[in-house]
Order: sequence, then structure tokens, then C-alpha cells
Amino acid sequence: MGRPHVLTYVALTLLATAILAGVFFGTAEVSWADRWAALSGAADAPRSLSLIIWEWRLPRVLVVAVVGGSLALAGVMMQTVLHNPLADPYLMGLSSGASAAAVGAILWLPPWVASTLGIPLIAFAGAVCAFAMTLGLSLRRGAIMSPLVVILAGVAVSLMFQSLTAFFLYVGDPHATRSALGWLMGTAAGTAWVDLWLPLFALVAVSGFALLRSQSLDAVLLGDERAMALGIRVRRLRLVVFAAVALLAGLSVATVGIVGFVGLIVPHMARLLVGGRHRALIPLSLVLGALVLVVVDLLCRVILAPEELPLGVLLAIFAAPPFILILRRVRHAY
Amino acid sequence: MLIDPMIEISHLSVTLGGKRRVDDLSMTVQRGSFHGLLGPNGAGKTTVLRTLYRAQNPDTGDVYINGTAIDAWAQADWTRTVGALVQEGGSLQGLTIRDVVDIGLMHLPLSPAARAACANDALALAGLTELTDMEAALVSGGERQRTHIAQVLARDPDLYILDEPSNHLDLCYQILLLDEIRRRGKTVIATFHDLSLAARYCDTVTLMRDGKGVATGTPDAVLTRDNLRDVFRVNGVLQDGALHIEGAIRV
Repeated sequence: MGRPHVLTYVALTLLATAILAGVFFGTAEVSWADRWAALSGAADAPRSLSLIIWEWRLPRVLVVAVVGGSLALAGVMMQTVLHNPLADPYLMGLSSGASAAAVGAILWLPPWVASTLGIPLIAFAGAVCAFAMTLGLSLRRGAIMSPLVVILAGVAVSLMFQSLTAFFLYVGDPHATRSALGWLMGTAAGTAWVDLWLPLFALVAVSGFALLRSQSLDAVLLGDERAMALGIRVRRLRLVVFAAVALLAGLSVATVGIVGFVGLIVPHMARLLVGGRHRALIPLSLVLGALVLVVVDLLCRVILAPEELPLGVLLAIFAAPPFILILRRVRHAY
Repeated sequence: MLIDPMIEISHLSVTLGGKRRVDDLSMTVQRGSFHGLLGPNGAGKTTVLRTLYRAQNPDTGDVYINGTAIDAWAQADWTRTVGALVQEGGSLQGLTIRDVVDIGLMHLPLSPAARAACANDALALAGLTELTDMEAALVSGGERQRTHIAQVLARDPDLYILDEPSNHLDLCYQILLLDEIRRRGKTVIATFHDLSLAARYCDTVTLMRDGKGVATGTPDAVLTRDNLRDVFRVNGVLQDGALHIEGAIRV
């Protein structure tokens, strides 16, 4: 078994452990026997604990794992097709569009509209709108779609929606503003089974596509022209990747709000461990993304329990040190 | 009229950034021959090659490789038939030298063992055996150029499209790698700035200026004193396969 397989299995084992920890630990004070009984569905398990584990914690942990995996996978693909190590899933304005739509809905729309449509759907629509604007600004008939133009268009669209969000927050009602700020920092509180299926389906479909096209993605790392010389239709591949990233990141933002860091840094963690070939990089990135977010979500729940911290607050603090450690160790080899 | 042409270009015109880079160019390359594209900077040599490996759409004109229009090729057939050495480079994020060579073998019907053997042979030819696990982004420009040439050698296509293959290479590797490509007897179309190298390796050359073909034929027939003066603005002469330069003409 090669090093990439070993590392992926190690990461999978750690992820399984983290998911169990995420299910077992929380604010409720209960014995270990009761926790096992509730998880295994034993008849004598306390009913309230079974409810907490099966209806609150387990779906929440799984949603967080799917979002972490989705953002890491989206980050890998964006960094590859844009030839840019600083690219992340939100680069095409997805998070800014989602933020402006969600904050605008929380602050300005009549409550019945927000509750009928739901903030996640409104946020997803905002993300798709920003994505369509960036894509529209980047496309030129017959041209290959320059990564630089996509990045600049994404920055312009992001800045526009960020200004809109800032305007909404500045003039909005202070009580509603706090709720909007909480959404902006990302939280998985209140997620249920119903929130899991769509992001999970998207993640399975996109990772299947990415693995099938892993050799084409490898070729793009050589440069657009080298990939074209190898017979790859780079423009078409780039468009499909952008659509896949919009789906993954849009659903992630809609489900738990804006979660940074994972889509930018986790692909680099995985690349430092197994190199740039996508057949190894995609599975490890996906598992590491899920692992990082599940661990950070658990910490968000227990550190100031019973208060809960937003994901964005703790993410960089706890995930950066392992990345720096890996970076230092790998760089010593050169 | 050539009996067995590998490349047929007919009335090709390409415009880039509002400037006509290739202007009504027609040329053919015989199967199995080594053909050089020569000319000063901006003559349109690289644009012709970019059109051949499908990175650039022509405004007008027809381009055929092996009798098939370039936009009608299926990916698998294209990969087997055409191999290109390209000037532009990607990020190479996380790729080793072996990875770069191996990626060139995708879509070829090779077993894993045969694929590894192809890559190892090409790496050895390019003198890269000791560097295979180095990150490709961290090696010198010459080593990276040898890596990309090794990728094309590993694929050993029917048509080699080489944009300035001697770029960054020391004299030893220029001769070693071009000798190897010549020895394989496949069709080659390559751009050169070193006219002595072109004279040494090319069976035929096309001289270009301002996007137009000025002359086509053997190096001796094309690299005349008049053409050197009119196209390259130097006084010189090609003698016994070597270029003797007498000086540049003041502009």
C-alpha cells in the first residue's frame, strides 16, 4: 500500500473518531453507559439522550463533515483550474453573494417571506447570482477564459456584494443585525437530517466527477496550453469545474453560513502530504476537510458551553497550527 | 506537391490582439521529415505551432494533420498522434518530475508497468534519473525544459511539435536530445532561433516574416546571404552547415 493510501486511511480513522466524539460530547452531562446505549439504540437508553444524539448531534456532525469535505474538494479544483494557490471556493463571489442575500433577507424582508423561502434557499440564490455575474464578466466568445480575468471578475463581484452587506448591516435594526452577524460567522447549530441529503448528494456526484477527470485535472497543472496539446478541452473543463464548485460552495454556505480557511488551506495540507496528483489528492483533501470542520465544530460547542461559538471564530485558530507543522516538516526535506 | 504530407496548412490567417500574426500562410510538411520554422521575433512561428496543437483558433484557412482537420480529431487518437513541447508553463503545484512525464502518458493504452518503463526510459534519456522525485517547480529552467522534452519523448508521437526545443538547454543536451528525436525518424516541426542548429537538424525549413512565408526549401537553399540580410538583418552566410556571421545591419 502506497503512502497516499496509508495517509487517507489514517485520516479516515481520525475522522470516524472525531465523528464519534462529536456525537458523544456536548453540553449535556450524561454517563458513558447512557451514551453508548443511546447511540446503539438500546431500549433502556434515556429517551431525551436518544433524541439529542439521533436528532441533534448526529445529523449536525454529518452535515459539518459533508460541508468540510465539499469546501476542501472545491478548493482543490479551484486552485488547479485557476493555477493559483490562493484560490478558494468563494473566489467567484459565492460567499459575498450569499451574505448579501441572507443579511438582506434577515434585516429587510418581511418575516413571512424569509420563513417561507428559508434563509438557506435565499443564500443559495445569492451565491448563484454572484457566480453567474462573475462567469458572465469572464466569458469571451472563442477565448479560453483566462484565470486572471476570472479572479479579477470574482474580486469585483465580491467587493460589490460586500459593500451591499455592509450597507445592510449599517442601516439595519441592531437586534436583527446580531442575528445576521451570527449567520455571517458560520454555525451548524440547528441543522437536522433534512439539511444533510442535498449537500451529501452534491458531494458524492462532484467527487465522482473529479476522480473520473483526475488525469485531466493533472494535465491542467502543466498549464492550459500543455493540457490542450494533450487533447484536454480546457475551457469546457474549467466551466464544468466552476459549476461544480458553485454547487458545492453554494450549498455549504446555505447550510452552515460562511466557513473560510477549509477551502483554502486544507488542499495545501493534503498536497504537502501526498503531492499534486488528483487521484490521491482528492480523497485525502475531502477527508481532511471533513476532519478539520468536525473537530472545530466540536470545540465550538464545548469551549464556552452552554454558549456556542461560531465556526469561523475558532477555525483558523485551531486549524492553522497543524498546517504550519506539516509545512515546516515537508519544507525541511528540500 | 508532396506525395505523403503529415501537415497541410492552407491560407492560414490568425489575428491576436488586433494584430495579424499569421497572414495567408500555406505550407506542407512531408511525413518523416524534420521541418524548421525560422524567422525573427514576432514572425508568427509560435502562432503557427499553437494553431497546430489547437491552442489557437484560426481566423481563416484549413489545417490538416495526417489528412484529418485538426478540430475533427478524437481525444484518444490525438494523444497517440500529436505531442507538443510548449513554451507556456503552468503552476506544477505538488508535481514531481516523474509526475510531469507520467501525465503525458494519459489516455495511452499502456499497462502500469509499460507506462512506468516508458517514463523511466525518457527520464534516463533526458538525464533526469537522479531528479525524478524532485518537485518540478523547484528545478532549474534547463532541467524543467528537459522534463517537458522527456514527456514528449515518453509518448513518442507520430508528430513532434516543438516550440524552441533548445531553450534553456546547455550545448550537450541540445545535441543529445535533438539527435534522439532525429534518430526516431518521426515527423517534426520545430521553431529555432539558432540557425546553425536548424541547419544541422532540419531537412526543410520555412522562413517567415510578419506572418507570411518568405521561402521554403532546404536550409542551404533558404538561408542565403540575401534572406539573412532581408529577414534577419544580419550579414552572413551558411557554409557546410554552419552559420558564419559577419555582423548586424544597423537599423
